[in-house]
Parts: sequence; structure tokens; C-alpha cells
Amino acid sequence: MSQLRSRIFLLGILVVLAVILGACTPAPPPPPVPTTPPPPTFEGLSLTTDCAAYPEGSAATFQSIEAVDQFTVVFTLCRSDPAFLSKMAFSVFSIYPQEWLEATAANPAERLESPVGTGPYTLDAWNRGESITFTSFADYWGTPPNADTLIFRWSTESAARVLELQAGTVDGIDNPGPDDFAVIEGDPNLQLIERPALNVFYLAMTNTFPPFDNVLVRQAVALGIDRQRIVDIFYPRGSEAASHFTPCSIANGCAGDSWYDFDPEAARALLAEAGFPDGFATSIFYRDVVRGYLPEVARVAEEIQAQLLANLNIDAEIVPMESGAFIAESTAGNLNGFYMLGWGADYPHVTNFLDFHFGAANPQFGTPHPEIFEALVQGAQIADPAEAEPFYVQANNAIRELVPMVPVAHGGSATAFRADVTGAHAAPLSNEYFAAMDPGGRDTFVWMQNAEPISLFCADETDGESLRACEQMMEPLYTYEVGGVENVPALATSCDPNEDLSVWTCTLRQGVKFHDGSDFDANDVVATFTMGLDAASALHVGNTNAWEYYDYLWGLINKPAE
Amino acid sequence: MSAVRTQEALPATWVEERAPRSTRRQFVEGLFRKRSAVVGMVMLGSLIFLAIFADVIAPYDPIQVLIGIEEVARRAPPCIHLLGCPADQPQHIFGIDGNVRDLFSRVVYGSRFSLFIGFSTVGFAIIIGGLLGAVAGFAGGRSDNLIMRVMDVLLAFPALLLAIAIVAVLGPGLINALLAIGIVSIPVYARVMRASVLSAKEMDYVQAATAVGASPTRILFVHILPNSVTPIIVQGTLGIATAILEAAALSFLGLGAQPPTPEWGSMLGTERNQVFTAPHLVFFPGLAIMLTVLAFNLLGDGLRDALDPRLRIVRT
Repeated sequence: MSQLRSRIFLLGILVVLAVILGACTPAPPPPPVPTTPPPPTFEGLSLTTDCAAYPEGSAATFQSIEAVDQFTVVFTLCRSDPAFLSKMAFSVFSIYPQEWLEATAANPAERLESPVGTGPYTLDAWNRGESITFTSFADYWGTPPNADTLIFRWSTESAARVLELQAGTVDGIDNPGPDDFAVIEGDPNLQLIERPALNVFYLAMTNTFPPFDNVLVRQAVALGIDRQRIVDIFYPRGSEAASHFTPCSIANGCAGDSWYDFDPEAARALLAEAGFPDGFATSIFYRDVVRGYLPEVARVAEEIQAQLLANLNIDAEIVPMESGAFIAESTAGNLNGFYMLGWGADYPHVTNFLDFHFGAANPQFGTPHPEIFEALVQGAQIADPAEAEPFYVQANNAIRELVPMVPVAHGGSATAFRADVTGAHAAPLSNEYFAAMDPGGRDTFVWMQNAEPISLFCADETDGESLRACEQMMEPLYTYEVGGVENVPALATSCDPNEDLSVWTCTLRQGVKFHDGSDFDANDVVATFTMGLDAASALHVGNTNAWEYYDYLWGLINKPAE
Repeated sequence: MSAVRTQEALPATWVEERAPRSTRRQFVEGLFRKRSAVVGMVMLGSLIFLAIFADVIAPYDPIQVLIGIEEVARRAPPCIHLLGCPADQPQHIFGIDGNVRDLFSRVVYGSRFSLFIGFSTVGFAIIIGGLLGAVAGFAGGRSDNLIMRVMDVLLAFPALLLAIAIVAVLGPGLINALLAIGIVSIPVYARVMRASVLSAKEMDYVQAATAVGASPTRILFVHILPNSVTPIIVQGTLGIATAILEAAALSFLGLGAQPPTPEWGSMLGTERNQVFTAPHLVFFPGLAIMLTVLAFNLLGDGLRDALDPRLRIVRT
């Protein structure tokens, strides 16, 4: 009995203890007293670096980027840059919301697949391997798009694209095959729009792999390829054999001597002099993606293979590669052999062609040649094309002499649309803008291009098929006029330079909303450029993490030594 | 047919004495009596003729680009002088391909590759598969179980998919494609061989050989195998057709023969975009594949009918 009593006693003590403990824990905090939000004090972000800290050969552009007030950003450059606005208008430099950049820095998958911008369309769904659906953005600051829904599809087969267009299942297609031009023009339900040849197709060699380390071998290839024959047979009208790397319609593009004439005898003599009288065996790499500069990839590859064998006795094996892998390997300079690649203008300036490819930081042709990039650095600082010409003569002649690659053609291409599509165009920069097109009153516009985008985070992409998709959703400070190459204000209402073009003050557009509902202000601009430029920043996370455009056009800050 | 009549006229006892040759004669007779088999043989004969004399028959080198040699347009349709094509234009009876080469010459040379693919892959598969099957059937027990379960695993994959996977590992190319197709066809022959070895093993003459103390190797290779190859031959003939189709599929996908090799499947694949603008570029290689596969199938069917004793009994 006494045992039972002592147990009850113990239990009682425990209960009392529990009550005391419960009383001691703090009470829930009182509901917050509603306070009036403090008057918006704007704390501007800034990105500052030392111009001397850039690695040698870097584009070394920015000294600082500063948000001086909510709608003003000041870009201070290390040197004058006459192409500043042209570069700034390139869609890779579109503005992302600061909060989103911070939130997705640790989540690259979301960053690559569901970007947030300010453009007329917002991403609805990306069915991998099938299509991307965009819907119109209700709070868009500019002219709302004509079609509520925009669908991107793709097919690598030009015949399949034309068939879909003829069947009416798509409203517009990119790059109909040259053989289909006449078919489309003869069809009253379709329209063909030719795109100016603002591009170049080249046959590249990486000079870190023998025998391409020998300049005589490269010159032999330059002489031994009948480029006119390739253009005559495989390219549509409006194309031409390349006399220089840059098309002649771009100022200073064609400064200096024209490319070599086809001369198989001299080519064989050069190859023998280099120590390969019987030729050698190598590979030709390519990706089977049709671009404006290269309409029939596999056919041209076989033609080059046949020419190399016939003219130089070079036995080349053809190696098709997956698009993303090909771009990654070729631009890193890892392909031992020839590779077929090209370039479409991003902005109509000679620096976009030459500085990107032959700059000191680009390993895609192997070790860069100082004879070329030193002239380019000097030429890029001069605004007046006539004054800059001697440097481009020097650069182009050095390219001709050193042959990092053989420029083959400037390819004419086209887009085709159903006849009732108004506002249809073929943009010289391949950035067709679908918000400006009206698919004959239908509420869905279906576009079929050549390949699936690699990712939708275009700050770290170079692939034109990806850029076009991003351009429907994202906007930079300036942009290009629809279907043209002139700069027009977009998220900035104006960007004004100082006298020597080294300080640019941009006034931003007010009342612009991002797709996630947040407001656009100067800090978003600084955050975006920090993300792209500052390799030490936590925001600097992308697809390949090469940040090619940020690096080549502006120069990365805090770039880790290789 | 006269031989048959002579045979009928002979005394019955004589025919009985010559019984073994009569079996062979019966087989040839059965094969020739089947019209589809004869058609298959004729088609196959002409194909082999085409392959052997390709240099003589083809008017052009199959990888010769005709630019600068003749005035021809890329992907020009067929030009046949007999059918009204102007005589001043060069004759190309199948037309010109996407790289300005003579399509007829390419199709003719393609027959070499297809026959080579068919015979080499099936030969490879028969040797490996036949041996595995024979060992499994003859030895029985644990080795039978092991071999046949591995074969079951191989069979569980769709053949083309497995071939694609193998080529993806080995790298694209004609030889690798052949190897891949050879490997995926092994289990079929292993199974057929095992089944016929199992039945032959119980025959009296095998028991007799065992009784007189012949070694297992001798029994397998001298007594059992020669009496078990019939089903393999039939299966092999039909298998050649499948192998040619699979090789064409691999080449179509860009995993088999590499350009500029004139292989039918790759010719189809490279010009698939031109189905509507230049249909001759896919029609003729496609037709060639179809006819070749048909030839082997007809012959295979005929062989099966002629060689299968059960079918023969029903007919006689």
C-alpha cells in the first residue's frame, strides 16, 4: 500500500513540475504592430574593379557599374568604346531581377529552364524534345503581342519544316532548304522572306594539334579548297564566297587583301614543303544543325572531304557530333582536325566578328596570334571607321597570312511564313521577334526552327537557336529595331556617353515589371552585370560557365587564372 | 527433270542402295519446284553478279564528284537516252545525288557492301552462336543453363536498340556496325543449334558412337554437328535479310557506313530531306534494299520447305 502511495506522490510532483515548466516558457510574441513602411530609401548596388587587374588580352571594359539612383545606371569604362550601345543591345545582356538571380544562384536547374524577364512573352512550359510554349505577359510595358500564345517547335530536317508549313500546322519556319525556295514562292498560301547574308561559314583548324601547328599546312588548305564551287553548288541565291572573314556590308569588314584564289598546284607544293607530300589523315567535325551560314551541313562536309582528298590528298574522316558537345569542344579548342562552324552577326560591327574569334582569350583555333589581336584591340577603341581602317587592314592581312581558319561563304538564307501572317520578317541578326507578327487573327503563333534551345538562360549561351527563344522573353537596356540592325531603347530610355565615350549614363524606363511581378530598377541592372562579369560572385552560375559573350565583349572580372 | 524420270525407270532395289544421294536430289528438286525460291535465287544471282562486276557495270566511280567533268545539275532527275532524254546530255539512269555523283554507280557499288554485310554478320553469328548452342545442348547441366540464360538476356533487348547501344560504345563505322549486328544475332543461332543438337543427341548412331568409346569432342563434331546444321542454314538465309535491313537502319541513323561509302542505308539517310524535291535519291537505294531483302526471304522460305523433313513428308 505504502508503495502505491509513494507512486501517487511522485506522480503528483511530476505534474506540478510540468505545470511550473509550462508557465516558464515564453508566451507567443504579440502580433506585430502595423507600422507605416519607411519612405523608400534606395540603396544602389555597384560593381567596381581595377582596370589594371584584368588579365592580359582581356577585353577589359568596365571600371565600374553603379546604380546612382533608382532609375539611373552609370557605366564607367577603362577606355572609350564606340560600339557600347551596339553591344549593350545584344540579347545576351538582358536584365534579370536581382532577387531571382540571388534565389537561383544555388539552383542552376531552375535558372536554366525557367528564366524571368521583362519581355512580351513569359515561359509557360518547356516539353523537352518537343516544344516550348510562351504566353503573353499581361503587365508588359510595351506594345502587347498580337498572339496570346507563342509556340516554338524544331526539326533538323528542312523538308519536315516545309511540310509542316504547307500543312498549316506551323505559321513560320526558319531556313527552308535551298531546293524549296521555288516551291514556297510558287505557293499562294506561303511567303518567302530572304535574310541578308550577315554571317560567315568557316573551316577551322586548331593550331595546337599537329600538323595544323605548321602555318604552311594551314596555308595549303586555304589554297586547296575551291570555295566558289561550294557556294555555287550548295548555297541559295544571295550567298557569296567569302573574300574576308567579316561580310563586306559591315564597315571595315573587307579592309585588307582578299582571300587566296583556288590553286591546287600551289597548295600541294606548300604541303610538300611542310613535309607532307603524300597528305595526311585527319577528321572533319560538324554538328548536323542547319544555320543561315550553312544550309546543307552533311552535304558540304562530304564536299569538303572530297576536295581535301582530290586537291591535297588529305584523307579526312567525317565525324558528326551532338550540337551542345560540338560547340563546347570546338570553342574550347579540343577538336583534333577540321571543324565546320560559322557565325551570325549579333550586332552589326566588325568587332563582333573579329574580336570574338581572334581575340587573345579565345582558344577555338588553338593559340591566338598576337599579330591579329593586337591590331584588333587598337582598332576597337576608335569610333570613326575611316580612322580605324589601318588596324583592320593589318588584322585581316594577318588572318590571311596565318590562316587560323578558312572563311568559306557568307550564306544567304530565308524564313517562310503562311501568307496571312502580317509583320513577318527575316531578321539580319536572326532574332525574329514574334510579338510583332500577327498570325492572321489566330491566337496562337507556331514557329518551327532548326534545333531545340540548349538552355533558356542565354547570358551563358552562344547558340543562336537558344538566343532566339530567350529574345521573346528577355530584354536588354537597348535592343535592335524589329527586323533591322539599328539600336533602339528598350529597358533604358536613353544611354548618353561623355565626350570621349568612356562613361555612359543610362536612364531606365519606369513602371516596368518582371514576369514574377517585381519592379525593374537600377539594382537589377547592376546585379545582372555582376552575375555575368564577376567570376568571384556567388551569382556567376550558368550552363557552361564559359560566359563567352561577357568575356569576349566586356572582359570577366576576377577571372581565375588557368 | 529428265534425271528424275530416269530414276523412276530404275529397278527399285537400285534406288534403295543409292538412298543418301536421293535425299540431296530430293532437296534440290524440292527447292526448284518452289517457284518463289527460284525467283529468289535468280534475284540473288543477279545481285551477286552486280557486286562482282560492279567496276564493269557502273559507268562512273561511285565517289567521283562530277563537277567540272560533266555539265550536270545537283540532284538532277534520271536522264535516260532511250526514254527521250536529249542525246547531248550525259546519261545518268538513276539521276545525280546531292554531292553531284552518279546515283546508278553508287547503287551498283552498294550491292557489294550489302552482300558483304549480310554474309559476314551472319557468318560471324553462326560460328559463335552455333558453337555456343552446340556446347550448351551437348554438355547440358550447368554450362547449358549459363550459356542459354546469357542468350536470353541478349534476346530480351530489341535487336536494333542493342545494336545502336553497341555502336555507341564502339564508335560509328561500318566494321563496328557489322560487329554489333553480328552480336545481336548470336542468340537466335545458339537457340536453333541447341534445339537440334538436343534432338540429335538421342539418335541411335550417337548412342552407338558412345558405346564404342568415341570421345565427346569427336561425337559432337563428327556425329552430331553435321546432322544439326540444316535448321541453321535456313535460319541463316533468312537472317541475312534481317542483317542487311539492320545495317541499312544503322547507316541511315549515321552509325554505320560513313560517307562517302556508297552504302544504301546511308544514301537513304543523307537524302531523306529530299523525299519531295528529288524523290529518285531515296527511291532507288530504297528499292535496292527492298529487292535484296526480298531475294533472301524468298530463298530462305524455299530452303526451309525443301530442307524440313516434316514438310517434305506431308507433300510426298
